[in-house]
Amino acid sequence: MTAEILNNIFAQDEKDILQEVMNIAFGQASAELAEVIDIFVILSVPDIQVLQGSDLPGYLCRELQTSGTVNIIEQNFLGKFAGQALLIFPSGAEKDLLTLFNQDQEFINNDIDMDTLERETLIEVGNILIGACIGKIAELLADVVTYDPPRLMAKDLCLEDCNKSPVAPDSFVISIRTVFRFEEQNVEGYLFLITNQKSIDWLKKALFAFLESFG
Amino acid sequence: MIFSQIFETINTGLVVLDKEMCVRHWNRWMALHSQIDSSEIVGRNLFDFFPELNRPHFIRNCRSVLAFGHFCFFSQKLHKYLFPMPPAGSLAEEFDHMQQSCSMGPLRNESGEVESLYLSVQDVSEVVSYQKKLVRMNQTDPLTGVYNRNFMESQLAKEVVRCQRFGHELSLLMIDVDLFKNVNDNYGHQCGDYALKEITRRISAKIRQTDFLIRYGGDEFCCLLTETAPAQSLKVAELLRQQICDTPFLFKEHEFSSTISIGVAGFDENDVDVESLLRKADSALYQAKQSGRNTVVNTAS
Amino acid sequence: MLKSILIVDDSPVARMIMKKCLPTDHGLTIYEASNGQEGVERYFSHKPDLTFMDLTMPVMDGFQALSTIKQRDPDAVIIVATADIQEKVLSRVTTLGALHTIKKPPSKEALKDALERATQALKH
Ligand SMILES: [Mg+2]
Repeated sequence: MTAEILNNIFAQDEKDILQEVMNIAFGQASAELAEVIDIFVILSVPDIQVLQGSDLPGYLCRELQTSGTVNIIEQNFLGKFAGQALLIFPSGAEKDLLTLFNQDQEFINNDIDMDTLERETLIEVGNILIGACIGKIAELLADVVTYDPPRLMAKDLCLEDCNKSPVAPDSFVISIRTVFRFEEQNVEGYLFLITNQKSIDWLKKALFAFLESFG
Repeated sequence: MIFSQIFETINTGLVVLDKEMCVRHWNRWMALHSQIDSSEIVGRNLFDFFPELNRPHFIRNCRSVLAFGHFCFFSQKLHKYLFPMPPAGSLAEEFDHMQQSCSMGPLRNESGEVESLYLSVQDVSEVVSYQKKLVRMNQTDPLTGVYNRNFMESQLAKEVVRCQRFGHELSLLMIDVDLFKNVNDNYGHQCGDYALKEITRRISAKIRQTDFLIRYGGDEFCCLLTETAPAQSLKVAELLRQQICDTPFLFKEHEFSSTISIGVAGFDENDVDVESLLRKADSALYQAKQSGRNTVVNTAS
Repeated sequence: MLKSILIVDDSPVARMIMKKCLPTDHGLTIYEASNGQEGVERYFSHKPDLTFMDLTMPVMDGFQALSTIKQRDPDAVIIVATADIQEKVLSRVTTLGALHTIKKPPSKEALKDALERATQALKH
């Protein structure tokens, strides 16, 4: 099913360019993230799938292979390339992220309860990770993107019980999945970029323009 | 021309910073609220004026905006404010500093490269004040002013997690006013209300700031004693019982006495959740009632 | 003067971009391989003057291919091509014996510089 939709939407050469653009974008994003946040971060080779919106929960469930619960950070981005980014961490990862990103205990004495601190850390880290990946894709494809504030779409959500898709069921979803790994804390997160038909049309043109910019 | 007018007159703080964190623009709103004129700060490093911003978190966000051209949002919930400024008008009674919601974004040159960044500062003190009021209303019992059951459920869940994680002690007192119906029947509901208020006043005076008194139902109260072992909480319960029965109540021309029964339960490793702790306290309270009221019963006994 | 170049990359598009950016007037022979293992095999069957090595590849990644080739042929001239040029990656490939690293996507200038470095290295 998945491969079928992918083949219907992208020709082989388009798929190959898309894959390489994502390889470069995510590679550059990890290099610059390491510099910006001072933490060694590894982004896996992005895996690109096209699916139907209604198939997304099942797909997430299989991909994440988690029987536990997850936290989902959502952020909309708007440019010629537009859509919705979903960053998914297993529940509990927010504690490790907090240790990682709040090493100098900046917020501990600020009469903020732990729950808020963990939520806000998830959102801020999500904003940087999503911005890094989208920012690099936009840069490679000569697009300028703006963003809505990120929000914590779901806290401790059980994917297996969840049959409601986070996107419109009849929409097409290009899922670009990467796994983040912060070496010091061993936190894993998944990023999915969900985009629409209009962006796909633009994307195809931009992919060839990217290729033509060489030589 | 139009844009510079907007920049100066908009009801939002606007700052432009270059890659070295040097201030390039500082609008009138910023000048008015920070008491720093743009002629003083433009061309100077932001951290010379606001050393509290020179911390990893802020710098990390600046760097990421410059590197990726995305936006950063500094939530009021986490930061309270970025720029320390006095709150406007009567809000000064509630806040030490103006509560701010700030965001940051890239500014590009003609070739599209990110060259500098802007910061916008929004005064959200009034919204925060309103939110606080709503939260308070949602958590308190209107008659007695102590916490309500809604608050208790979320607080108890948090405390239980804390106990499990850090091995803290936690005790729960389930308190019921003995034969409260008689007060209402004999002296009227107004008097009943007075009795409930007086009882919570006496209890509140004897517990610590870190403990929580909750009106659980009509004449049922609950006391959460944090970091308190059962032996200690028994003493507290006994003290509370005396506070009620030792001094008669006085409402208009009526003088009457009242007593309370208390069931005490301590959190231990057998308690998997909130429910099991509540059940223990409830059954202790039931025993207290059975044994003739005006008594304290511990789960262990 | 360089006569032959091997491009090891799992992405056909990355190999295409690399070829497009290489100078055309040299009469270079270009060999290609689509993963690390194939890269090792092609290296020893063709003995190219210069090898461009991608890092993230299936079957055998670039780190392993680089170290395998350098162990068997310490004189091999290998330049790593990667988008992820963070410090830890650079120091690791240098330790494994890479001559140089270029950032992906490559620019013509970066490739010209890489070819010059390779030419210098071959002389020694
Ligand atoms: Mg590759």
